[in-house]
Amino acid sequence: MEADRKPAERSASAAAPTRAATMAASAAAADRRKGTFWRGTLPFLLTCWKLNLAGAMEFRLSFLMTAGMMFLNNVIWLLFWGIFFDRFPDVAGWELKDVMLLWAVSAGGFGWASVLLGNFTRIAYLTANGELDVYLTQPKPLLLNVLASRMSLTAIGDFLFGAAIYAYVGDHSWTGLASFLLALLMSGLFFLFFTLAAGSLAFFFGNAEGIAFQLFNSFLAFTTYPADIFKGLGRLLLFTIVPAGFISYMPIGLLRGWDGSFMLAAAGMLLLLAALSLGLFYAGLRRYSSGNRMAMRS
Amino acid sequence: MIAAKGAKYAAVVRITLKQQTAYRMDFLMRSLFLLLILYVFMQLWSAAYSGQGEGAEIAGFRLKDIIWYLVLTEAFTMAFPQLCTRIEEEVKSGGIAVRLLTPISYAGYQYASYLGEAALRFVVNLACGSLIGWMLVGPPELGAGWSSIAVLGLGSFTLAFLLNLSIALCSFWVEETRGLEFILQKLQFTVGGMLIPLDLMPHWLQQICAWLPFQAVLYFPAKSAVSGGAELGAYVAQQLGWIAVMAALCAWIYSRGIRRLNANGG
Repeated sequence: MEADRKPAERSASAAAPTRAATMAASAAAADRRKGTFWRGTLPFLLTCWKLNLAGAMEFRLSFLMTAGMMFLNNVIWLLFWGIFFDRFPDVAGWELKDVMLLWAVSAGGFGWASVLLGNFTRIAYLTANGELDVYLTQPKPLLLNVLASRMSLTAIGDFLFGAAIYAYVGDHSWTGLASFLLALLMSGLFFLFFTLAAGSLAFFFGNAEGIAFQLFNSFLAFTTYPADIFKGLGRLLLFTIVPAGFISYMPIGLLRGWDGSFMLAAAGMLLLLAALSLGLFYAGLRRYSSGNRMAMRS
Repeated sequence: MIAAKGAKYAAVVRITLKQQTAYRMDFLMRSLFLLLILYVFMQLWSAAYSGQGEGAEIAGFRLKDIIWYLVLTEAFTMAFPQLCTRIEEEVKSGGIAVRLLTPISYAGYQYASYLGEAALRFVVNLACGSLIGWMLVGPPELGAGWSSIAVLGLGSFTLAFLLNLSIALCSFWVEETRGLEFILQKLQFTVGGMLIPLDLMPHWLQQICAWLPFQAVLYFPAKSAVSGGAELGAYVAQQLGWIAVMAALCAWIYSRGIRRLNANGG
Protein backbone atom coordinates (compact mmCIF):
# COMPACT_ATOMS: atom_id res chain seq x y z
CA MET A 1 0.00 0.00 0.00
CA GLU A 2 2.78 2.35 1.02
CA ALA A 3 4.75 1.59 -2.13
CA ASP A 4 1.72 2.14 -4.33
CA ARG A 5 1.01 5.57 -2.94
CA LYS A 6 4.44 7.10 -3.39
CA PRO A 7 4.64 7.08 -7.22
CA ALA A 8 1.16 8.55 -7.39
CA GLU A 9 2.19 11.36 -5.04
CA ARG A 10 5.24 12.01 -7.15
CA SER A 11 3.34 12.16 -10.42
CA ALA A 12 0.81 14.49 -8.81
CA SER A 13 3.52 16.89 -7.71
CA ALA A 14 5.29 16.69 -11.08
CA ALA A 15 2.21 17.86 -12.94
CA ALA A 16 0.49 20.18 -10.51
CA PRO A 17 -3.20 20.37 -11.47
CA THR A 18 -4.84 23.67 -12.28
CA ARG A 19 -7.61 24.97 -10.00
CA ALA A 20 -10.23 24.18 -12.65
CA ALA A 21 -8.90 20.68 -13.10
CA THR A 22 -8.99 20.13 -9.33
CA MET A 23 -12.57 21.33 -9.19
CA ALA A 24 -13.55 19.14 -12.12
CA ALA A 25 -11.87 16.16 -10.51
CA SER A 26 -13.60 16.74 -7.18
CA ALA A 27 -16.92 17.25 -8.96
CA ALA A 28 -16.38 14.00 -10.84
CA ALA A 29 -15.52 12.24 -7.59
CA ALA A 30 -18.67 13.64 -5.99
CA ASP A 31 -20.69 12.45 -9.01
CA ARG A 32 -19.09 9.06 -8.72
CA ARG A 33 -19.97 8.92 -5.04
CA LYS A 34 -23.50 10.08 -5.78
CA GLY A 35 -23.70 7.54 -8.59
CA THR A 36 -22.39 4.85 -6.27
CA PHE A 37 -25.14 5.66 -3.78
CA TRP A 38 -27.98 5.72 -6.32
CA ARG A 39 -26.75 2.85 -8.47
CA GLY A 40 -25.03 0.72 -5.81
CA THR A 41 -25.89 1.31 -2.17
CA LEU A 42 -29.57 2.20 -2.46
CA PRO A 43 -30.57 -0.74 -4.70
CA PHE A 44 -28.50 -2.97 -2.38
CA LEU A 45 -30.40 -1.70 0.67
CA LEU A 46 -33.75 -2.05 -1.09
CA THR A 47 -32.88 -5.62 -2.04
CA CYS A 48 -31.85 -6.39 1.55
CA TRP A 49 -35.15 -5.05 2.87
CA LYS A 50 -37.16 -6.86 0.20
CA LEU A 51 -35.46 -10.18 0.98
CA ASN A 52 -35.77 -9.67 4.73
CA LEU A 53 -39.48 -9.05 4.34
CA ALA A 54 -39.86 -12.03 2.00
CA GLY A 55 -38.06 -14.16 4.60
CA ALA A 56 -40.45 -12.96 7.29
CA MET A 57 -43.43 -13.68 5.08
CA GLU A 58 -42.23 -17.25 4.67
CA PHE A 59 -43.68 -17.93 8.12
CA ARG A 60 -46.64 -15.62 7.87
CA LEU A 61 -48.56 -16.79 10.93
CA SER A 62 -45.48 -16.63 13.14
CA PHE A 63 -44.70 -13.17 11.76
CA LEU A 64 -48.21 -11.88 12.46
CA MET A 65 -48.24 -13.39 15.93
CA THR A 66 -44.82 -12.01 16.85
CA ALA A 67 -45.59 -8.50 15.62
CA GLY A 68 -49.11 -8.65 17.11
CA MET A 69 -47.81 -9.72 20.51
CA MET A 70 -45.39 -6.80 20.63
CA PHE A 71 -48.21 -4.45 19.72
CA LEU A 72 -50.33 -5.93 22.49
CA ASN A 73 -47.41 -5.79 24.91
CA ASN A 74 -47.11 -2.04 24.37
CA VAL A 75 -50.86 -1.59 24.73
CA ILE A 76 -50.71 -3.29 28.13
CA TRP A 77 -48.03 -0.79 29.20
CA LEU A 78 -50.38 2.00 28.23
CA LEU A 79 -53.02 0.34 30.37
CA PHE A 80 -50.68 0.82 33.32
CA TRP A 81 -50.22 4.47 32.44
CA GLY A 82 -53.99 4.85 32.08
CA ILE A 83 -54.44 3.49 35.60
CA PHE A 84 -51.62 5.67 36.91
CA PHE A 85 -52.95 8.89 35.44
CA ASP A 86 -56.45 8.02 36.57
CA ARG A 87 -55.10 8.31 40.12
CA PHE A 88 -52.58 11.11 39.45
CA PRO A 89 -53.87 13.23 36.51
CA ASP A 90 -50.79 15.47 36.46
CA VAL A 91 -47.28 14.13 37.09
CA ALA A 92 -44.50 16.73 36.82
CA GLY A 93 -46.60 18.59 34.24
CA TRP A 94 -47.21 15.50 32.10
CA GLU A 95 -50.62 14.18 31.17
CA LEU A 96 -51.69 10.78 29.87
CA LYS A 97 -51.64 12.02 26.27
CA ASP A 98 -47.98 13.07 26.61
CA VAL A 99 -46.99 9.66 27.91
CA MET A 100 -48.92 7.94 25.12
CA LEU A 101 -47.03 10.02 22.58
CA LEU A 102 -43.80 9.26 24.41
CA TRP A 103 -44.48 5.57 23.88
CA ALA A 104 -45.41 6.23 20.24
CA VAL A 105 -42.09 8.03 19.65
CA SER A 106 -39.98 5.52 21.57
CA ALA A 107 -41.58 2.35 20.20
CA GLY A 108 -42.02 3.81 16.71
CA GLY A 109 -38.41 5.04 16.52
CA PHE A 110 -37.02 1.77 17.81
CA GLY A 111 -39.43 0.03 15.43
CA TRP A 112 -38.25 1.59 12.18
CA ALA A 113 -34.59 1.29 13.12
CA SER A 114 -34.99 -2.40 13.99
CA VAL A 115 -37.01 -3.16 10.89
CA LEU A 116 -34.63 -1.49 8.44
CA LEU A 117 -31.31 -1.93 10.27
CA GLY A 118 -32.19 -4.78 12.62
CA ASN A 119 -28.68 -5.96 13.44
CA PHE A 120 -27.81 -2.87 15.44
CA THR A 121 -28.77 -4.64 18.66
CA ARG A 122 -26.51 -7.62 17.81
CA ILE A 123 -23.19 -5.91 17.12
CA ALA A 124 -21.61 -7.20 20.34
CA TYR A 125 -22.77 -10.75 19.61
CA LEU A 126 -21.57 -10.67 15.99
CA THR A 127 -18.20 -9.28 17.03
CA ALA A 128 -17.61 -11.59 19.98
CA ASN A 129 -18.55 -14.64 17.91
CA GLY A 130 -16.45 -13.76 14.88
CA GLU A 131 -19.49 -13.41 12.66
CA LEU A 132 -18.27 -10.22 11.03
CA ASP A 133 -15.95 -12.33 8.84
CA VAL A 134 -18.64 -13.09 6.34
CA TYR A 135 -19.51 -9.39 5.90
CA LEU A 136 -15.87 -8.40 5.57
CA THR A 137 -15.52 -10.61 2.51
CA GLN A 138 -18.41 -8.99 0.67
CA PRO A 139 -17.91 -5.98 -1.63
CA LYS A 140 -20.50 -3.82 0.15
CA PRO A 141 -20.28 -1.00 2.72
CA LEU A 142 -19.49 -3.05 5.81
CA LEU A 143 -21.57 -1.39 8.53
CA LEU A 144 -24.59 -0.88 6.30
CA ASN A 145 -24.36 -4.48 5.14
CA VAL A 146 -24.20 -5.75 8.72
CA LEU A 147 -27.04 -3.55 9.94
CA ALA A 148 -29.45 -4.10 7.04
CA SER A 149 -29.00 -7.85 6.83
CA ARG A 150 -31.53 -8.50 9.57
CA MET A 151 -35.10 -7.39 10.09
CA SER A 152 -36.67 -7.61 13.54
CA LEU A 153 -40.19 -8.99 13.29
CA THR A 154 -41.30 -7.89 16.74
CA ALA A 155 -40.23 -4.35 15.85
CA ILE A 156 -42.83 -4.21 13.10
CA GLY A 157 -45.38 -4.40 15.91
CA ASP A 158 -43.54 -1.57 17.68
CA PHE A 159 -43.62 0.64 14.61
CA LEU A 160 -47.30 -0.04 13.93
CA PHE A 161 -48.04 0.67 17.59
CA GLY A 162 -46.32 4.05 17.29
CA ALA A 163 -48.33 4.87 14.19
CA ALA A 164 -51.59 3.76 15.81
CA ILE A 165 -51.03 5.86 18.92
CA TYR A 166 -50.22 8.90 16.79
CA ALA A 167 -53.45 8.28 14.82
CA TYR A 168 -55.34 8.04 18.13
CA VAL A 169 -54.02 10.99 20.15
CA GLY A 170 -51.57 12.84 17.90
CA ASP A 171 -51.88 16.23 16.23
CA HIS A 172 -53.17 15.46 12.72
CA SER A 173 -52.29 18.82 11.15
CA TRP A 174 -49.42 18.92 8.61
CA THR A 175 -47.18 20.55 11.21
CA GLY A 176 -48.15 17.92 13.78
CA LEU A 177 -47.43 15.12 11.33
CA ALA A 178 -44.06 16.62 10.37
CA SER A 179 -43.14 17.00 14.05
CA PHE A 180 -44.09 13.41 14.77
CA LEU A 181 -42.10 12.10 11.81
CA LEU A 182 -39.08 14.15 12.91
CA ALA A 183 -39.44 12.77 16.44
CA LEU A 184 -39.60 9.21 15.04
CA LEU A 185 -36.55 9.80 12.88
CA MET A 186 -34.46 11.22 15.71
CA SER A 187 -35.64 8.61 18.20
CA GLY A 188 -34.65 5.77 15.85
CA LEU A 189 -31.25 7.34 15.22
CA PHE A 190 -30.63 7.78 18.96
CA PHE A 191 -31.42 4.08 19.48
CA LEU A 192 -29.25 3.09 16.55
CA PHE A 193 -26.14 5.06 17.45
CA PHE A 194 -26.29 4.50 21.21
CA THR A 195 -26.68 0.75 20.78
CA LEU A 196 -23.99 0.67 18.10
CA ALA A 197 -21.58 2.43 20.45
CA ALA A 198 -22.44 0.01 23.28
CA GLY A 199 -22.10 -3.00 20.96
CA SER A 200 -18.75 -1.77 19.62
CA LEU A 201 -17.31 -2.19 23.12
CA ALA A 202 -17.01 -5.87 22.19
CA PHE A 203 -14.08 -4.96 19.93
CA PHE A 204 -12.20 -3.71 22.97
CA PHE A 205 -13.41 -5.93 25.83
CA GLY A 206 -14.02 -9.22 24.06
CA ASN A 207 -17.19 -10.72 25.49
CA ALA A 208 -19.12 -7.52 26.08
CA GLU A 209 -22.52 -8.95 25.18
CA GLY A 210 -23.77 -8.69 28.76
CA ILE A 211 -22.76 -5.09 29.30
CA ALA A 212 -23.97 -4.05 25.81
CA PHE A 213 -27.33 -5.67 26.49
CA GLN A 214 -27.67 -3.99 29.87
CA LEU A 215 -26.72 -0.60 28.43
CA PHE A 216 -29.31 -1.04 25.71
CA ASN A 217 -31.93 -2.19 28.22
CA SER A 218 -31.22 0.78 30.48
CA PHE A 219 -31.45 3.19 27.57
CA LEU A 220 -34.72 1.60 26.48
CA ALA A 221 -36.14 1.77 30.00
CA PHE A 222 -35.31 5.46 30.35
CA THR A 223 -36.97 6.30 27.02
CA THR A 224 -40.34 5.12 28.30
CA TYR A 225 -40.69 7.34 31.37
CA PRO A 226 -41.38 11.10 31.36
CA ALA A 227 -38.08 12.97 31.37
CA ASP A 228 -39.38 15.47 33.93
CA ILE A 229 -39.73 12.98 36.78
CA PHE A 230 -35.93 12.88 37.01
CA LYS A 231 -34.15 15.52 39.04
CA GLY A 232 -30.54 16.38 39.82
CA LEU A 233 -27.84 13.93 38.84
CA GLY A 234 -30.31 11.52 37.26
CA ARG A 235 -31.54 14.21 34.90
CA LEU A 236 -27.99 15.27 34.06
CA LEU A 237 -27.07 11.69 33.11
CA LEU A 238 -30.23 11.41 31.04
CA PHE A 239 -29.12 14.25 28.81
CA THR A 240 -25.43 13.33 28.64
CA ILE A 241 -24.01 9.82 29.15
CA VAL A 242 -27.27 7.93 28.61
CA PRO A 243 -28.99 10.40 26.28
CA ALA A 244 -32.42 8.77 26.50
CA GLY A 245 -33.79 12.08 27.75
CA PHE A 246 -33.65 13.44 24.21
CA ILE A 247 -36.26 10.84 23.26
CA SER A 248 -38.32 11.03 26.43
CA TYR A 249 -38.61 14.83 26.29
CA MET A 250 -39.85 14.81 22.66
CA PRO A 251 -43.56 14.94 23.60
CA ILE A 252 -42.94 18.23 25.41
CA GLY A 253 -40.00 19.74 23.48
CA LEU A 254 -41.27 18.94 20.00
CA LEU A 255 -44.82 17.58 19.87
CA ARG A 256 -46.46 20.04 22.30
CA GLY A 257 -44.62 22.92 20.69
CA TRP A 258 -41.23 23.62 19.11
CA ASP A 259 -38.63 24.20 21.83
CA GLY A 260 -35.70 25.60 19.85
CA SER A 261 -33.00 25.15 22.47
CA PHE A 262 -34.05 21.55 23.17
CA MET A 263 -34.12 20.65 19.48
CA LEU A 264 -30.74 22.24 18.92
CA ALA A 265 -29.28 20.30 21.84
CA ALA A 266 -30.93 17.09 20.57
CA ALA A 267 -29.49 17.57 17.07
CA GLY A 268 -26.04 18.34 18.52
CA MET A 269 -26.11 15.28 20.78
CA LEU A 270 -27.26 13.10 17.89
CA LEU A 271 -24.33 14.25 15.75
CA LEU A 272 -21.92 13.68 18.62
CA LEU A 273 -23.33 10.24 19.31
CA ALA A 274 -23.18 9.33 15.61
CA ALA A 275 -19.53 10.41 15.41
CA LEU A 276 -18.70 8.54 18.62
CA SER A 277 -20.41 5.31 17.63
CA LEU A 278 -19.01 5.26 14.09
CA GLY A 279 -15.57 6.15 15.45
CA LEU A 280 -15.78 3.34 18.01
CA PHE A 281 -16.99 0.84 15.42
CA TYR A 282 -14.30 1.56 12.84
CA ALA A 283 -11.54 1.95 15.43
CA GLY A 284 -12.64 -1.35 16.91
CA LEU A 285 -12.79 -2.97 13.51
CA ARG A 286 -9.06 -2.41 13.11
CA ARG A 287 -8.56 -4.54 16.23
CA TYR A 288 -11.01 -7.20 15.09
CA SER A 289 -9.72 -10.71 14.68
CA SER A 290 -11.37 -14.09 14.58
CA GLY A 291 -10.55 -17.75 14.34
CA ASN A 292 -10.86 -19.68 11.09
CA ARG A 293 -14.52 -20.12 11.63
CA MET A 294 -16.64 -21.22 8.68
CA ALA A 295 -20.03 -19.54 8.77
CA MET A 296 -22.84 -18.51 6.52
CA ARG A 297 -25.21 -15.62 6.92
CA SER A 298 -28.37 -16.83 8.53
CA MET B 1 -40.24 -43.94 49.10
CA ILE B 2 -41.38 -40.33 49.57
CA ALA B 3 -38.02 -39.47 51.13
CA ALA B 4 -36.20 -40.94 48.12
CA LYS B 5 -38.37 -38.93 45.75
CA GLY B 6 -37.85 -35.80 47.81
CA ALA B 7 -34.08 -36.38 47.73
CA LYS B 8 -34.12 -36.38 43.91
CA TYR B 9 -35.85 -33.00 43.75
CA ALA B 10 -33.66 -31.61 46.53
CA ALA B 11 -30.65 -32.64 44.43
CA VAL B 12 -32.09 -30.69 41.47
CA VAL B 13 -32.44 -27.61 43.70
CA ARG B 14 -28.82 -28.01 44.88
CA ILE B 15 -27.48 -28.42 41.35
CA THR B 16 -29.43 -25.33 40.20
CA LEU B 17 -28.01 -23.30 43.08
CA LYS B 18 -24.49 -24.35 42.13
CA GLN B 19 -25.11 -23.48 38.48
CA GLN B 20 -26.44 -20.06 39.38
CA THR B 21 -23.60 -19.13 41.71
CA ALA B 22 -21.14 -20.04 38.95
CA TYR B 23 -22.28 -17.04 36.85
CA ARG B 24 -21.54 -14.16 39.21
CA MET B 25 -21.21 -11.57 36.44
CA ASP B 26 -24.69 -12.37 35.16
CA PHE B 27 -25.98 -11.95 38.70
CA LEU B 28 -24.29 -8.60 39.06
CA MET B 29 -25.73 -7.36 35.76
CA ARG B 30 -29.25 -8.34 36.73
CA SER B 31 -28.87 -6.66 40.10
CA LEU B 32 -27.65 -3.46 38.47
CA PHE B 33 -30.71 -3.43 36.22
CA LEU B 34 -32.93 -3.97 39.26
CA LEU B 35 -31.36 -0.94 40.93
CA LEU B 36 -31.93 1.13 37.82
CA ILE B 37 -35.58 0.14 37.49
CA LEU B 38 -36.19 0.80 41.17
CA TYR B 39 -34.55 4.19 40.83
CA VAL B 40 -36.88 5.02 37.92
CA PHE B 41 -39.96 3.92 39.86
CA MET B 42 -38.91 5.87 42.90
CA GLN B 43 -38.56 8.99 40.81
CA LEU B 44 -41.95 8.39 39.23
CA TRP B 45 -43.78 7.80 42.50
CA SER B 46 -41.99 10.66 44.23
CA ALA B 47 -43.15 12.97 41.41
CA ALA B 48 -46.70 11.62 41.72
CA TYR B 49 -46.81 12.02 45.53
CA SER B 50 -45.17 15.46 45.45
CA GLY B 51 -48.39 16.82 43.96
CA GLN B 52 -50.44 15.40 46.86
CA GLY B 53 -48.83 17.34 49.70
CA GLU B 54 -46.37 16.42 52.45
CA GLY B 55 -46.90 12.99 54.06
CA ALA B 56 -49.92 12.22 51.86
CA GLU B 57 -51.58 8.82 52.24
CA ILE B 58 -53.42 7.43 49.23
CA ALA B 59 -55.60 4.34 49.63
CA GLY B 60 -53.61 3.45 52.74
CA PHE B 61 -50.20 3.88 51.11
CA ARG B 62 -47.67 6.52 52.07
CA LEU B 63 -44.80 7.15 49.66
CA LYS B 64 -42.55 5.04 51.86
CA ASP B 65 -45.01 2.11 51.73
CA ILE B 66 -45.21 2.36 47.95
CA ILE B 67 -41.43 2.29 47.60
CA TRP B 68 -41.04 -0.79 49.81
CA TYR B 69 -43.99 -2.40 48.03
CA LEU B 70 -42.14 -1.86 44.73
CA VAL B 71 -38.87 -3.19 46.17
CA LEU B 72 -40.68 -6.43 47.00
CA THR B 73 -42.64 -6.80 43.76
CA GLU B 74 -39.51 -6.10 41.71
CA ALA B 75 -37.42 -8.49 43.82
CA PHE B 76 -39.97 -11.24 43.12
CA THR B 77 -40.45 -10.42 39.44
CA MET B 78 -36.77 -10.32 38.61
CA ALA B 79 -36.22 -13.56 40.49
CA PHE B 80 -38.55 -15.58 38.26
CA PRO B 81 -36.53 -17.63 35.74
CA GLN B 82 -37.45 -17.65 32.05
CA LEU B 83 -39.22 -20.97 32.04
CA CYS B 84 -40.91 -20.58 28.63
CA THR B 85 -37.64 -19.97 26.82
CA ARG B 86 -36.06 -22.96 28.54
CA ILE B 87 -38.85 -25.43 27.74
CA GLU B 88 -39.34 -24.07 24.23
CA GLU B 89 -35.63 -24.64 23.52
CA GLU B 90 -35.82 -28.17 24.91
CA VAL B 91 -38.78 -28.99 22.68
CA LYS B 92 -37.19 -27.44 19.58
CA SER B 93 -33.79 -29.04 20.10
CA GLY B 94 -35.21 -32.39 21.12
CA GLY B 95 -33.43 -32.13 24.48
CA ILE B 96 -36.74 -32.92 26.16
CA ALA B 97 -36.31 -36.54 25.01
CA VAL B 98 -33.42 -36.98 27.46
CA ARG B 99 -35.39 -35.41 30.31
CA LEU B 100 -38.35 -37.72 29.66
CA LEU B 101 -36.07 -40.76 29.89
CA THR B 102 -34.78 -39.86 33.36
CA PRO B 103 -36.63 -41.31 36.40
CA ILE B 104 -37.96 -37.95 37.53
CA SER B 105 -41.20 -36.16 36.70
CA TYR B 106 -40.66 -33.58 33.93
CA ALA B 107 -42.80 -30.91 35.63
CA GLY B 108 -41.30 -31.83 39.01
CA TYR B 109 -37.78 -31.40 37.69
CA GLN B 110 -38.66 -28.01 36.19
CA TYR B 111 -40.33 -26.95 39.45
CA ALA B 112 -37.35 -27.89 41.62
CA SER B 113 -34.98 -26.13 39.24
CA TYR B 114 -37.25 -23.07 39.08
CA LEU B 115 -37.54 -22.90 42.85
CA GLY B 116 -33.78 -23.16 43.41
CA GLU B 117 -32.99 -20.39 40.95
CA ALA B 118 -35.86 -18.11 42.00
CA ALA B 119 -35.05 -18.38 45.73
CA LEU B 120 -31.42 -17.46 45.24
CA ARG B 121 -32.20 -14.59 42.91
CA PHE B 122 -34.89 -13.30 45.27
CA VAL B 123 -32.49 -13.10 48.20
CA VAL B 124 -29.93 -11.19 46.12
CA ASN B 125 -32.62 -8.93 44.63
CA LEU B 126 -34.10 -8.19 48.03
CA ALA B 127 -30.67 -7.25 49.39
CA CYS B 128 -29.95 -4.92 46.44
CA GLY B 129 -33.47 -3.45 46.42
CA SER B 130 -33.39 -2.87 50.17
CA LEU B 131 -30.14 -0.98 49.79
CA ILE B 132 -31.61 1.59 47.41
CA GLY B 133 -34.96 1.67 49.24
CA TRP B 134 -33.21 2.33 52.54
CA MET B 135 -31.09 5.08 50.99
CA LEU B 136 -34.06 6.89 49.44
CA VAL B 137 -36.91 6.51 51.94
CA GLY B 138 -35.36 5.07 55.09
CA PRO B 139 -35.57 1.63 56.70
CA PRO B 140 -38.57 -0.64 56.15
CA GLU B 141 -41.22 -0.78 58.87
CA LEU B 142 -42.60 -4.19 58.01
CA GLY B 143 -42.81 -5.72 61.51
CA ALA B 144 -44.82 -8.93 61.17
CA GLY B 145 -44.76 -8.31 57.41
CA TRP B 146 -41.49 -10.25 57.16
CA SER B 147 -43.36 -13.45 57.99
CA SER B 148 -45.77 -12.68 55.13
CA ILE B 149 -42.86 -12.63 52.72
CA ALA B 150 -41.70 -16.03 53.96
CA VAL B 151 -45.15 -17.64 53.91
CA LEU B 152 -46.60 -16.10 50.76
CA GLY B 153 -43.23 -16.12 48.95
CA LEU B 154 -43.23 -19.88 48.40
CA GLY B 155 -46.79 -19.73 47.09
CA SER B 156 -45.81 -16.84 44.86
CA PHE B 157 -42.95 -18.82 43.27
CA THR B 158 -45.18 -21.85 42.87
CA LEU B 159 -48.01 -19.96 41.22
CA ALA B 160 -45.63 -18.02 38.97
CA PHE B 161 -44.11 -21.35 37.93
CA LEU B 162 -47.52 -22.85 37.12
CA LEU B 163 -48.68 -19.81 35.15
CA ASN B 164 -45.49 -19.89 33.10
CA LEU B 165 -45.62 -23.66 32.74
CA SER B 166 -49.14 -23.49 31.29
CA ILE B 167 -47.74 -21.25 28.54
CA ALA B 168 -44.43 -23.06 28.14
CA LEU B 169 -46.26 -26.34 27.54
CA CYS B 170 -47.96 -24.75 24.53
CA SER B 171 -44.60 -25.26 22.78
CA PHE B 172 -45.82 -28.84 22.20
CA TRP B 173 -48.24 -27.29 19.70
CA VAL B 174 -46.78 -23.96 18.57
CA GLU B 175 -43.21 -23.04 17.63
CA GLU B 176 -43.05 -19.71 19.42
CA THR B 177 -44.30 -19.11 22.99
CA ARG B 178 -42.30 -15.96 23.66
CA GLY B 179 -45.17 -13.68 22.64
CA LEU B 180 -47.57 -15.36 25.07
CA GLU B 181 -44.90 -15.17 27.78
CA PHE B 182 -44.60 -11.43 27.12
CA ILE B 183 -48.32 -10.96 27.54
CA LEU B 184 -48.34 -12.95 30.78
CA GLN B 185 -45.44 -10.88 32.06
CA LYS B 186 -47.20 -7.61 31.24
CA LEU B 187 -50.41 -8.82 32.88
CA GLN B 188 -48.34 -9.39 36.02
CA PHE B 189 -46.95 -5.89 35.69
CA THR B 190 -50.40 -4.30 35.48
CA VAL B 191 -53.34 -6.27 36.79
CA GLY B 192 -50.96 -8.34 38.92
CA GLY B 193 -50.03 -5.22 40.85
CA MET B 194 -46.29 -5.11 40.16
CA LEU B 195 -46.18 -1.49 39.04
CA ILE B 196 -49.09 -0.18 41.05
CA PRO B 197 -50.87 -1.67 44.08
CA LEU B 198 -54.37 -2.85 43.26
CA ASP B 199 -55.76 -0.52 45.98
CA LEU B 200 -54.83 2.48 43.82
CA MET B 201 -56.70 1.18 40.78
CA PRO B 202 -60.25 2.19 39.87
CA HIS B 203 -62.89 0.19 41.74
CA TRP B 204 -64.19 -1.63 38.63
CA LEU B 205 -60.68 -2.85 37.80
CA GLN B 206 -60.06 -4.00 41.36
CA GLN B 207 -63.17 -6.15 41.07
CA ILE B 208 -61.88 -7.74 37.86
CA CYS B 209 -58.43 -8.33 39.37
CA ALA B 210 -60.01 -10.07 42.35
CA TRP B 211 -61.11 -12.86 40.00
CA LEU B 212 -57.73 -13.31 38.34
CA PRO B 213 -54.76 -15.39 39.56
CA PHE B 214 -52.16 -12.70 38.91
CA GLN B 215 -52.69 -10.77 42.15
CA ALA B 216 -51.73 -13.86 44.17
CA VAL B 217 -48.20 -13.80 42.71
CA LEU B 218 -46.97 -10.30 43.53
CA TYR B 219 -49.67 -8.21 45.15
CA PHE B 220 -50.47 -10.58 48.03
CA PRO B 221 -46.94 -10.93 49.46
CA ALA B 222 -45.98 -7.28 48.90
CA LYS B 223 -49.26 -5.81 50.24
CA SER B 224 -49.32 -8.12 53.23
CA ALA B 225 -45.68 -7.26 54.01
CA VAL B 226 -46.05 -3.47 53.91
CA SER B 227 -49.25 -3.61 55.94
CA GLY B 228 -47.61 -5.59 58.76
CA GLY B 229 -48.91 -9.05 57.88
CA ALA B 230 -52.53 -8.04 57.36
CA GLU B 231 -54.94 -10.58 55.81
CA LEU B 232 -52.27 -13.25 55.72
CA GLY B 233 -54.74 -16.11 56.23
CA ALA B 234 -57.07 -15.00 53.44
CA TYR B 235 -54.19 -14.49 51.05
CA VAL B 236 -52.72 -17.93 51.77
CA ALA B 237 -56.12 -19.56 51.19
CA GLN B 238 -56.58 -17.79 47.86
CA GLN B 239 -53.04 -18.60 46.78
CA LEU B 240 -53.57 -22.30 47.52
CA GLY B 241 -56.83 -22.23 45.60
CA TRP B 242 -55.17 -20.77 42.51
CA ILE B 243 -52.24 -23.18 42.82
CA ALA B 244 -54.70 -26.11 42.80
CA VAL B 245 -56.53 -24.73 39.74
CA MET B 246 -53.34 -24.00 37.79
CA ALA B 247 -51.74 -27.34 38.73
CA ALA B 248 -54.81 -29.15 37.39
CA LEU B 249 -54.71 -27.08 34.20
CA CYS B 250 -50.99 -27.76 33.67
CA ALA B 251 -51.49 -31.50 34.27
CA TRP B 252 -54.25 -31.53 31.67
CA ILE B 253 -52.19 -29.60 29.08
CA TYR B 254 -49.15 -31.80 29.72
CA SER B 255 -51.09 -35.06 29.38
CA ARG B 256 -52.51 -33.93 26.01
CA GLY B 257 -49.30 -32.38 24.73
CA ILE B 258 -46.92 -35.18 25.62
CA ARG B 259 -48.94 -37.65 23.52
CA ARG B 260 -48.43 -35.66 20.34
CA LEU B 261 -44.79 -34.78 20.97
CA ASN B 262 -42.28 -36.09 18.46
CA ALA B 263 -38.74 -35.41 19.60
CA ASN B 264 -35.68 -36.21 17.58
CA GLY B 265 -32.41 -35.38 19.23
CA GLY B 266 -31.33 -34.60 22.74
